[in-house]
Amino acid sequence: MDQRIVEFIAGLRAAGVRVSLAESADAFRAIEQLGIGDRDLFRSALRTTLVKDSVDVPAFEKLFPLYFGSGGPPLTNPDEELSPDDMQRLKDAMRDLLGDNEKMRQLMRYLLEGANPTREELEQMANQAGVPLARHPYQQSWLTQRMMRQLGMDEEFQELMEQLIQKLEEMGMSRETLRRLAQIAAENARALQEQMSQYVGARIAQNATENPRERQPIRGPDLMQRAFSSLGEREIAELRNQVRRLAARLRSRAALRQRRGKRGVLDAKRTIRTNLRHASVPIELQHKRRHLKPKLVLICDVSTSVRPVVEFMLRLVYELQDQIHSARSFVFIDDIVDVSAEFAQHRPETAVERVLDHNPPGYYNTNLGFSLAHFCKDFLDTVDHRTTVIVLGDGRNNFLNPRLDAFQEIKKRARKVVWLNPENPRIWGSGDSDMLQYMPLCDAAHEVGNLAQLAEAVDRLFDTR
Amino acid sequence: MFKDIAEVKSALAAQQYIATDEIATVIFLADKLEKPVLVEGPAGVGKTELGKAWACIEQRDLIRMQCYEGLDETKALYEWEYAKQMLYTQLLRDKLGDLLHDTTTLAQAADKLAEEEDVFFSKRFLLPRPLLRAIVADKPSLLLIDEIDRADAEFEAFLLEVLSDFQVSVPELGTLKAKHMPLVILTSNNTRELSEALKRRCLYLFIDYPTTEAELRIVKLKVPDLAPQMAQQAVELVQRLRKLDLKKHPSVSETIDWARALVMLNAKNLDEKTLENTLTVLLKHEHDVQRAQRILGEFNVAEDQGDDEEDRGKGASPRYRTPPRK
Repeated sequence: MDQRIVEFIAGLRAAGVRVSLAESADAFRAIEQLGIGDRDLFRSALRTTLVKDSVDVPAFEKLFPLYFGSGGPPLTNPDEELSPDDMQRLKDAMRDLLGDNEKMRQLMRYLLEGANPTREELEQMANQAGVPLARHPYQQSWLTQRMMRQLGMDEEFQELMEQLIQKLEEMGMSRETLRRLAQIAAENARALQEQMSQYVGARIAQNATENPRERQPIRGPDLMQRAFSSLGEREIAELRNQVRRLAARLRSRAALRQRRGKRGVLDAKRTIRTNLRHASVPIELQHKRRHLKPKLVLICDVSTSVRPVVEFMLRLVYELQDQIHSARSFVFIDDIVDVSAEFAQHRPETAVERVLDHNPPGYYNTNLGFSLAHFCKDFLDTVDHRTTVIVLGDGRNNFLNPRLDAFQEIKKRARKVVWLNPENPRIWGSGDSDMLQYMPLCDAAHEVGNLAQLAEAVDRLFDTR
Repeated sequence: MFKDIAEVKSALAAQQYIATDEIATVIFLADKLEKPVLVEGPAGVGKTELGKAWACIEQRDLIRMQCYEGLDETKALYEWEYAKQMLYTQLLRDKLGDLLHDTTTLAQAADKLAEEEDVFFSKRFLLPRPLLRAIVADKPSLLLIDEIDRADAEFEAFLLEVLSDFQVSVPELGTLKAKHMPLVILTSNNTRELSEALKRRCLYLFIDYPTTEAELRIVKLKVPDLAPQMAQQAVELVQRLRKLDLKKHPSVSETIDWARALVMLNAKNLDEKTLENTLTVLLKHEHDVQRAQRILGEFNVAEDQGDDEEDRGKGASPRYRTPPRK
């Protein structure tokens, strides 16, 4: 049993669950206390000692039955239900029908005599089906099917079964008994398949343990580092779930930074009050707390290339509402649109979805310069000396007028202008990118190719220095 | 010390805490292996209650420490009571004068004073905070560290040190070692990732929202005055609300509050009016309330027509969208 638990732990590790030596030692101590008599208790004991993150619970639940499974339901032998006469008839019929068909006789032995396959038999079948090469859990059902087919579960078998039943009927077996026999055969087939499936599952898990490099489960930290452009639908969905936690982390950091600010003006009143206990000797200095929450104006390009970044940026910013004084958002492709109302009316997830839905990307119609000029004309009042203006976009302007004058105007009024660009800095300024012209006018320009970089960029916004 | 898990379960039940097999197993193991328990799960599923109930069944003193951002050692471990030290110095000034009276030089006086230093840095002036209280307690205690995920990462590292060997060194006093090993339970709402090292030292327990049956048992236990029929309806409604896509799902404690409210209002059945009046006990966001009312309204219609409401409930919530604005 100990060996099996050690194998199980190795299996967990292969599935991406971090299990330390101390934890596996705990697992053994827990088992010592609880014994292995009760399967549910055993599972609880292993789970509480080995799995320390709710994210890893599914992996545990998936692997547990593979290692400590019953091996699947046992096959039933019909002789308990059939009369000796009927048993004799069955044997005769099978002998007549099968003759020297070795393969079919083996299969019938499982299905109609309820002979459970031995471990060796299973192993042999599995080797034939190519299980030793399998490393991915999704191959399990396919390989099981393949093993069943190899065993002879196909059309030939169906025919044979019909012939057998016909023959038995001729030999005088009652309808009732025949139906029961067919039922048992079908149940046995299912049980056999389940046994094989569990065996294959365990083998795959074991294979994965022996070749840990083969598997790369998608985990949070890795996804954070992946470029937005290389993410699939599924991964984007997974990242969306992470945004909330990321926001919680950024929020606590931003709040902490506000509180710990030791740069502020000396707060004489509070200093005297706190130092009363030191007999008014000013040992602990108190500073005026600065509640300088950033005021944001976001100008987002929503053309195809920048979409995922914009989506995550908007989500993050609006999840962080409570740390921000106010946020106004504008999106543009060929012209600028104020979308703040969407965020006022809907929850961030819905609002982001709606904004992106209402502004479908066109085909080479981005007009950054015109959008900036329009912004200057109509919305410049949203920018004041406390506002940080964030432009999110690749700066690609289809060789149109970049309208640096408009940008200059915005910069003059704003506290800070930050440009976030999803492209690698090496290709800034190449082709129709006007990034290099805008850059000198910005206070900062960052690359935000993945969620980690984006998080860092957002975090910097709260830096009030 | 418990003999088996059934005993833990019945002891917890006696404290009005309905534990699943898993919870009982973890508590049993924590008791046997003397390991801290880390409890995670959504807010209001009874994580803190578990700590309290556990303290009761072990007949230990409960020492609770609520974590928050910016919690530091002086708030969690100990602090010198400056004011008291000052006061004593003032009051004992004459005595000090006597003591230093026969010294001639400043150095001599300082030496003399240094000999008496121990008086001012003794346990008398030490203000123990929860962690130190748990360590120096004369009786065995249970330390409940609530919402550890709210504390900062540095504090977590510090806590780790204390939890691993239950001793604290106070520079002026030396090392204080625990007389009795305290049992420790930590709760977390999972708003941030806890460090691997902390998790490694703990047994892990995830408590999710209870099943309909379990929640019904809880409501019946905590609010015995509510008619069984009503309790059933109420719990089913709460379970249905949890399946909706809401900003904040109703917790078990809110279910109990709601059940109490229904008793107070003497409600006979869950009609639309009762719901409208009391839904705010369950849902704390205006948006959620509106949404729930809209969807529950649909349910009531469905119920009248005898449709399969459960299926509609599952289907309607995630797919629900407001029509796009033109």
